[in-house]
Amino acid sequence: MRQSRMSTPEPAARAAHTSTLSALDSIFRQTRGTVTLLLPAALGITIGLLSLTPRVQGSALLTQSFLGAAGFVLAWAALLAFTARRGGWAPTIEISLRAQHYIQACCQMAVLAYWGWHWRPVYAMAVLLAAQVVFAYAFSMLLAWSRGERYVLGFGPVPIIFSINLFLWFRDDWFWLQFLMVGVGFLGKEFVRWHREGRHVHIFNPSAFALGLFSLVLIATGTTDLTWGREIASTLTLAPHIYLYLFLVGLVVMHFFSITLIAGTAAAVLFGLSALYASVTGVPYFVDSEIPTAVFLGLHLLVTDPSTSPRTPLGKSLFGALYGLGVFALYSILGAAGAPTFYDKLLCVPLLNLSVRGIDHFVRNVGARREAGARRPDSLTPSVLFPGGMRNLAAMGVWVAFFAIMTAAGRTDGRHPGDSVPFWQAACADGRANACERLLSIEASYCGDNSAWACNELGLHYAEGLVVEADAELGERYFARACELRFQPACVNLVDPGTNARAEPRSLDLRLLLREGGLNLMQAPESELYLRACDHGWRFACDPRLGSAPTGGEPPSGVA
Amino acid sequence: MSERPRRSRGVVLAAAGLVAAVWSALMLSRTADDRAAEADPLPGLPPVGQLDGFRADAWYMPDDSTLGFVEIPGGPFTMGSDPGVDSLAFDIEWWGEGRVQGTPDIPTFFIGRFEVTVAQYAAFVGDTRHPVPDTRTLQDPPSHPVAWVSWPDAVAYARWLDTRLRTPPGALPDSLAGLVADGWRVALPTEAQWEKAARGTDARIYPWGDAPRTDRANFRAASPVPVGSFPCPECAYPVADMAGNVWEWTRSPFRPYPFDDSIERIDLSADALWIMRGGSFGDTEQYVRAANRGGADPGARRAIIGFRVALVRD
Repeated sequence: MRQSRMSTPEPAARAAHTSTLSALDSIFRQTRGTVTLLLPAALGITIGLLSLTPRVQGSALLTQSFLGAAGFVLAWAALLAFTARRGGWAPTIEISLRAQHYIQACCQMAVLAYWGWHWRPVYAMAVLLAAQVVFAYAFSMLLAWSRGERYVLGFGPVPIIFSINLFLWFRDDWFWLQFLMVGVGFLGKEFVRWHREGRHVHIFNPSAFALGLFSLVLIATGTTDLTWGREIASTLTLAPHIYLYLFLVGLVVMHFFSITLIAGTAAAVLFGLSALYASVTGVPYFVDSEIPTAVFLGLHLLVTDPSTSPRTPLGKSLFGALYGLGVFALYSILGAAGAPTFYDKLLCVPLLNLSVRGIDHFVRNVGARREAGARRPDSLTPSVLFPGGMRNLAAMGVWVAFFAIMTAAGRTDGRHPGDSVPFWQAACADGRANACERLLSIEASYCGDNSAWACNELGLHYAEGLVVEADAELGERYFARACELRFQPACVNLVDPGTNARAEPRSLDLRLLLREGGLNLMQAPESELYLRACDHGWRFACDPRLGSAPTGGEPPSGVA
Repeated sequence: MSERPRRSRGVVLAAAGLVAAVWSALMLSRTADDRAAEADPLPGLPPVGQLDGFRADAWYMPDDSTLGFVEIPGGPFTMGSDPGVDSLAFDIEWWGEGRVQGTPDIPTFFIGRFEVTVAQYAAFVGDTRHPVPDTRTLQDPPSHPVAWVSWPDAVAYARWLDTRLRTPPGALPDSLAGLVADGWRVALPTEAQWEKAARGTDARIYPWGDAPRTDRANFRAASPVPVGSFPCPECAYPVADMAGNVWEWTRSPFRPYPFDDSIERIDLSADALWIMRGGSFGDTEQYVRAANRGGADPGARRAIIGFRVALVRD
């Protein structure tokens, strides 16, 4: 979610409660004179000082990125000072604190804090995040003045930076691209514009534009490994009850900015499509969730910028539904193309932003037809039933009820059937759609985490050629990896091809296989581990001699 | 002073240029990596050139009629240790079943005269791009025994050599070509094969006899030496370095005697541990005895562990 262009007035049609907040919170003041150019220079120096912190000094290339960003800001400020002095003009600043900026930033900060508590690399990013915020202020300021505009100083850059960093970071050696991504976001906001509802406004949500553009480049160049994208997409689940947490944070945004229809419809469409896919195929669409947590985060905090999304209830609903459809489709398209699927939530936002005028047009046409065809056109419309802010509260009520039902049905924070490897083994054996591909993908992921059992299973798949095209050489590589991890069946398979030796996962394997996306089970007692394994469909683990006492009856059979 | 006149021309082009620059930078970084990999596929691979006694045109195998494979005749031999004779014997060398030693009868096989050398392993790596996770693997001189290799690395080398002997770039020596055509294949030796090649059939403690001799093998030393550096006229077979220099991986899992070479009876639920034999340059006389058994994690890459290969027939 992002806000309107800082130098333009508030939209006339914004919700009444937002106007009230804005009126209370906004303070206007003007500063003139070339002395204001000292401000971006000070920000550049701040970035330079941040490069002295131990976190940045730990990497020579990261330090160079910081110094490069600082130098860029200082050079731009110096150039501007020179042209200002020669041209006889002076940069101006207007201070405006808008609720939609700082409330949104607070919500994003809350997500970062909770996520970081459970995945510490987020906290390790604090200095890097601060530097991006400082850079964003300097960049947007210099850009406005370079274009002869007044700079509106507020909290605007903060939610843009937080939003970018909730989804994509470049690794230390490539961090200069993070600064560039920030710059591209602001350039897109400033220069890629159109006329909408009589106003000259930016087309793209700035953070989503930068994220979408860089995602495309990373996919096209096959350089995703230069980022923390995969880790970011998968580590939100390390935080317990993350869906509930995001839901509660989302309610704050929904309350203040009337985006319930967008987020709610997107979630409902995704839940619905997932359920439909599962009912038809018998396997979950998103492997181990109904909606991936990062997508759930995205539909609350990325796609819901009021300035780049429709403003009518029908338009918002359509926008949300298209986001849901877009994510659903992109997940398959990216997977089929061999690209990382976590880009699904990022790539469709710029496309949706481009569709806003079309949606507006469609909504106007629908409204016109209704007026032409109805004797009393506004008799049963939502605006009559729920006037003003009541409409959003009503939508929030529906959303709360919907989320409660999904949670009660175990579709949010509860254990998901797709978290179980035996589930995918059974689904693959039953010939369920895409199940064997998913099984291979899951086992490859666990093998990458050093589960020898998973490596041996992968080796067997490639040696046997039953669920994937046989590739003896690749099979041997997996056997070798598993053998080096001391998994005896893999050593036997390696030294005596064709034996196809298998064994149940060892306790170390189970500690990896039962993580459900992120739980740390390394210190879990073996009895608890086997109980958990039994609950996940590992039949051998249900043997009471292993310390796992089944809660009764047969272990889960696997396939839904 | 007045506000600056608004200017926006060219900025869209500038933004597009920025994106193009990022694209180019990423593409260049990738292609540079690819080019580097092509130009130097095996960083650290030493230039070997000619090596006395080894054939550069045959993967640096020994220059003789069988490329260094020595025949060990079939028949029974004494395996394990009698603590009454060998006071340095470890418990795990006792045969069990009420006997201190066993007499397995094994068929004829051929074993490498030398431990696999750095030059031979480099030829394998150069041919297959087999990963070399530890750069020290190829850093020793070409005639030294290769070390810093895991058990799967050794198995992979044996498999590669077997394939290459079947599709040689030039003519193989007739006797070796005949063996290959007759169904013999390259593999790691079992520990029984290894022990027979080391001590022969007369139950000697060391390859040269019953007393330790530092002039016959490289042990109690600081580093490995080129393969075949210690002549051993007293050895049962013309096979070098069966004591010391580097431990040698075998294709036998670590399990108690009596010796059993069946794959089927391996305990698949136990953590893998594979037998290595012969002791190393850093060991004392107790560890370089022909009957001594070492067990190692198959993933272990150490300065003291290498291997040799054998020709066997199923």
